[in-house]
Amino acid sequence: MSSGFRSMHPVVALLYYAGLLLFTLLVFHPLFLATEIAGLLALLLLQGQGRQLLRSLPFMLLMAASVALLNPLFSHRGAHILFYWLDQPITLEAVLYGLMMMTMLLTIFIWFISYNYTVTTDKFMYLFAAAAPRTALLTLMAIRFVPLFQRRLRQITLIQRLRGIDAGTGSLKKRMTDGMTLLKVLLTWSLEEALQTGDSMTARGYGSTKRSTYTIYKADLQDKLVMLLLTVSGVVTLLFWVQGYGKLEIYPRMRPADFGWQEAVMYGSFCLFVLIPAGLEGKEKWLWRSSKHSNYPSDTLKKTGTRSMSYRSS
Amino acid sequence: MLCGPSGSGKTTLLRHLKRELTPVGSSSGTLTYKGQPLSGLPAAVAAGEIGMVFQNPDAQIVMDTVWHELAFSMENLGLPPAVMRTRLAEICGLFGLEPLLYRPVHELSGGQKQLMNLASVLLLQPKVLLLDEPTSQLDPVAAREFIMALQRLNEEMAVTVIISEHRLEEVLPLADRVLMLEDGKLLADAAPRLFARQTGSGALTSAGRYLPAASRLYLSLAPEADSVAPENIPLTVREGRRWLHALMAGTDAAAGAELVNNLNSPAAETLLTCREVTFRYEKEGREVLRKLSLTLKQGEFLAVMGGNGAGKSTLLHVMNGLMKPQRGRIELAKGKTTGLLAQNPLLYFSYDTVAEELQHMGSYAGLTPEAAASEIEALLAVFQLREVLQSHPHDLSGGQQQQTALAMMLLMKPDILLLDEPTKGLDPAAKDRLAALLQQLRGQGISILIVTHDVEFAAKHASRCALLFDGGITAEGTPAEFFSSNYFYTTAVNRIVRDWLPQALTIEDVIRTWPASAYRC
Repeated sequence: MSSGFRSMHPVVALLYYAGLLLFTLLVFHPLFLATEIAGLLALLLLQGQGRQLLRSLPFMLLMAASVALLNPLFSHRGAHILFYWLDQPITLEAVLYGLMMMTMLLTIFIWFISYNYTVTTDKFMYLFAAAAPRTALLTLMAIRFVPLFQRRLRQITLIQRLRGIDAGTGSLKKRMTDGMTLLKVLLTWSLEEALQTGDSMTARGYGSTKRSTYTIYKADLQDKLVMLLLTVSGVVTLLFWVQGYGKLEIYPRMRPADFGWQEAVMYGSFCLFVLIPAGLEGKEKWLWRSSKHSNYPSDTLKKTGTRSMSYRSS
Repeated sequence: MLCGPSGSGKTTLLRHLKRELTPVGSSSGTLTYKGQPLSGLPAAVAAGEIGMVFQNPDAQIVMDTVWHELAFSMENLGLPPAVMRTRLAEICGLFGLEPLLYRPVHELSGGQKQLMNLASVLLLQPKVLLLDEPTSQLDPVAAREFIMALQRLNEEMAVTVIISEHRLEEVLPLADRVLMLEDGKLLADAAPRLFARQTGSGALTSAGRYLPAASRLYLSLAPEADSVAPENIPLTVREGRRWLHALMAGTDAAAGAELVNNLNSPAAETLLTCREVTFRYEKEGREVLRKLSLTLKQGEFLAVMGGNGAGKSTLLHVMNGLMKPQRGRIELAKGKTTGLLAQNPLLYFSYDTVAEELQHMGSYAGLTPEAAASEIEALLAVFQLREVLQSHPHDLSGGQQQQTALAMMLLMKPDILLLDEPTKGLDPAAKDRLAALLQQLRGQGISILIVTHDVEFAAKHASRCALLFDGGITAEGTPAEFFSSNYFYTTAVNRIVRDWLPQALTIEDVIRTWPASAYRC
């Protein structure tokens, strides 16, 4: 299923995810991070990825929580000492910093889930090919080999068992030699076939002239519009960051965050950046839901009101 | 069309016609394309105007997804995107590839892969298309589809097609010219019907087995075959039936003699029983075998047939004990063993020479070196593998690889042989040799079970046939019973003569039972 944000041009997705990652690492502010998490979560949920998210949630929480707990235990910087634990001072700053790190980690985890779902291998390779066509071609060929070799190795393992070569039984030494034999069979077979693949490539004119690239993606008006919006809002946020806004100072001493108009503008533009994909996805959802009820104007005459089997002559 | 036994130089000839693939070696003579020497063509023209499709569908594939594979050849020639898009749209429409466009290549069936390979070459709009046994790895239905696609190309787009092929039943009637190669020499070069007549008259009798069933039947029944006008020789089932109708018009020989059923063996010992076997690969997967029951008796030659993906190979793996069924049981008689020959013989090899393979197999089978040596000697004589003893298994021809793998399995002295598509990709002569070999093994008391698509082979050699469909055995019986009750899934000879001799499956059957009066009209 691909619709909404997922069906957009790869460059849009690249711009979005690159920008998002950049802001995660640069903008050190709980409000911004929370907004980012909310935006990504909304996007994932609208894309129907809730189950996927739930499955990885325990791991994410465990990792993030351990960071939050460990930071105050190991870092003792800061001026506000809360209490002593095993003769070690636990400072407010360290606790807060740990919580910030936790939020950041969570953001990155969720970012990865969303990225993996939206930027498929195909799209990544398309973007990559624009930068390095030859390497991309090689990578694509290599990518095909991974599942291919897996399938072949399974076949080989099955059949070689008939002649006593089995990496699953026997002494350690036998297992190792047998495992190597299986790999050798795989390698010989695959190399032999690679020769034919090479033939097929030359037969189809590989290397005869400069290659062109066929693309299945086309940037339409909406893609361009969204790209423009993302760029503008991203650049505005970045400019404010360069000015020093949107930074929470914890170390060496906690300072209360002030939230002036500059922060408000920066936050607004950041919100726009983060929420565009979720908005697109939501629009798509709404479109499908509402199209069930709406009637398209058409030439066919449609009777309104209830129809009855019997004709009533007027 | 090119025909001839394996190793007669068909591939070498085709590769000479494709400049990029010209084999290394010493050569003499000239090759011209449109009056120009082939070696003088610009690279893009040589690649684009002469296209080639190979035997193995998998080995030709370079890319991961169908659209990328199709675009690959056009990208190589540096065509602009707009042109690529139009051509792709056109070809996908022609071959019905549109639903497959975004699928990963490995999900495709063999037939679909081969069609994709053909389409990818055609996107360059070649004038000449070279095909090296393109259907040898395909099942009959996929092969027919592929050949029909070729026919359309040839007739509607005026593409010259040069094809080497063992499957003559479908290709020969379509061909304009038939070339027969043997030992690198051109034995015949004629129109199909003329070629058929030449094979009837002495010099080319060995080529007789390359003809379709209708022509073979005609030549063996018509006494005046030598002098017959070539345009009378039937090539297809339809023409064969028409000829027989004309022949039988005057006589009332419709009640042909009943075939004597001499294949009914007495109750032999049951060796292998499958009892309501159910198998699936994954927990959520489809049931590949469903409550399948099958028995194999001592000394039998059972042929199991069925469409692609019907679970034939799975059945063999389960019967051999390589995979455990989820329900049901496989019962093997006490003290009996099975040997499996998988579809791809390459899976068996792990050493550098054939001799080493056999020796290691011998020691695994628990034979003493002397016993192993004498066993190997005997097998080498039977399989005629002596001259390739020191070669690498990968350097052998397909038939030899298969025989080596079979010899390895026989060192284990199995009582039951399970063979997976043993006739795939073999030329008619090699098929006959394999059949003789299997009959010889059967004579030694080995029971044989093959799964195959090859109807003609099963009809000729099996003692019992079974059809695997929807996970179970739906029909079984002696070849005569089995095939005569089928309308489509039967031999070409049976389709020709079924109005008169419903039980005749092979030419030999027909000759044996043909009413003698018909000979002389």
